[in-house]
Amino acid sequence: MLRVLLVTDTDKPIGDLRDKLARLGYEMLAEVAAPASLHAAVESQKPDVVIIDTDSPSRDTLEQLAVMNKAAPRPVLMFSNDADQQFIRAAVGAGVTAYSVEGLAPERLAPIIEVALARFAHEAQLRQRLAQVENELAERKVIDRAKRLLMDRRGMSENDAYATLRKRAMDQGVKVAEIARQLLSLADLLG
Amino acid sequence: MNSPASSSFASSATPTPERTHLRLGFVALSDAAPLAAAALRDMGRRHGISIELCRQPSWAAVRDKLLSGEIDAAHALYGLVYGVQLGIGGPQADMAVLMVLNRNGQAITLSKPLADAVHGGASVKDALASLGRTPVIAQTFPTGTHAMWLYYWLAAQGVHPLRDVRSVVIPPPRMADALVEGTLDGFCAGEPWHAVAEARGAGRAVVHTSEIWPDHPEKVLACRRDFVALYPNTARALVRTMLEACAWADAPEHRTELAQALASSDLLGVPRELIEARLGTRNGVAPVRFFDHGAVNYPRLSDGLWFITQYRRWGMLASDDGDDDAAVAASVNQTALYAQAARAAAVDVPGERRAATFCDGRVWDGSDASAYLAGFEMRA
Repeated sequence: MLRVLLVTDTDKPIGDLRDKLARLGYEMLAEVAAPASLHAAVESQKPDVVIIDTDSPSRDTLEQLAVMNKAAPRPVLMFSNDADQQFIRAAVGAGVTAYSVEGLAPERLAPIIEVALARFAHEAQLRQRLAQVENELAERKVIDRAKRLLMDRRGMSENDAYATLRKRAMDQGVKVAEIARQLLSLADLLG
Repeated sequence: MNSPASSSFASSATPTPERTHLRLGFVALSDAAPLAAAALRDMGRRHGISIELCRQPSWAAVRDKLLSGEIDAAHALYGLVYGVQLGIGGPQADMAVLMVLNRNGQAITLSKPLADAVHGGASVKDALASLGRTPVIAQTFPTGTHAMWLYYWLAAQGVHPLRDVRSVVIPPPRMADALVEGTLDGFCAGEPWHAVAEARGAGRAVVHTSEIWPDHPEKVLACRRDFVALYPNTARALVRTMLEACAWADAPEHRTELAQALASSDLLGVPRELIEARLGTRNGVAPVRFFDHGAVNYPRLSDGLWFITQYRRWGMLASDDGDDDAAVAASVNQTALYAQAARAAAVDVPGERRAATFCDGRVWDGSDASAYLAGFEMRA
């Protein structure tokens, strides 16, 4: 069962949203009304989805959790009764992991929650892949710099320089990039 | 030129702005003063723009509304702009820093018992350890300035900001209450929230941010990069308007009027006395400044680059390849546009290079970011 955390720290009326979502089969966690307790609630109750007002002052608390607890970022669903929904939608289009809800009709909320979860999972996968590619690229740059250092200072050929790095990596049981990094910081130290 | 005669800012053949009405976002903080001054005194009029202030309930809302176009520009944490540019923890978008709006004026407050211990001579590390549990210290936004001041200062005290404390975000107006309730042991934020906490007996400031990085940049005037590209005349008119507003806000003789304006429920909703007391020098601490002959306002590239070094230090950027960081700063900080606007307003443009000695004795002058970063022993 999907666990939903509802944050109600603004005076926007939520009516019987909570009951209706529960009737639709969601497990509704204890409501959070005070911003100071949101952090603990998200960490301890581990909701699958957080629903929060776009105007909530607690939104920055969720930002902190998303940046500092990479292991468990959660999709955040925002509700807004205002006329500014088109702007929220634009923000969503720009990549905010958040979804606007037209008013608060629970029967319309349910499919949005499902879509939010699916899209969040997809984006998390993309982010992971991107981080991996960036990491590989950065490693390649470090290895190239270390090779150049060996070629310049030891007069090695490019192949020999790489073979030297790789051999040491295998001897120590670490990645070639790690050996390259060690070499570069040592070279930095020695000037 | 703290209190410029209006002629020194007079329009000299300003091209007509493409946009005449601008919506500016701000968060309820004393250093939103230049925006308050600009709106209060309709300072945009002579530059062909009118300004509408839009108070935002969170920094996340500032970001989302900048990205969606609901607001055109905003009073923003320096680091927030760079966090969005780098896509840390949220959407990525090309952002612009038009100018710096203030330096200094932030602080770290600890709960009363902890602050008493520190003021009594205990080290911060020992005072926090005396709690016998993990201290909880709040800041305002994960990539923001307050998070970076807090982490830097804790690290300089031998306290690991990510392991030895729980760093949380709660809205600044709630911080004093949380200290009283005991759910919080300290916080780093802007004024007037330290004044509020102290007035309530909830805690006391133990360090001002000007003691962490003397004359550090704090809030900036931020917008999307495409706003600058589409409306360059408007951006210049806005910078000229805000330079005038910063100069006005910096003048001691305007402090009471400024604090009165900020105190209104539309802006901060905090008593004037609490706001005004923190606008000037107290106890020899370098105060918030908005102008200082333009020395405050130049969007120096090395300032932007510093935030990236700290994101790398604390593991907020995945790869450790910093080769392009200087280029990121050069694309975000609109130095050329700023210089044009400042010259047209007869405001001095300071040099690019500035060296500062931080609270841990380390010097940052923007020249070698990777060596600077490598020199930090405590990191993520």
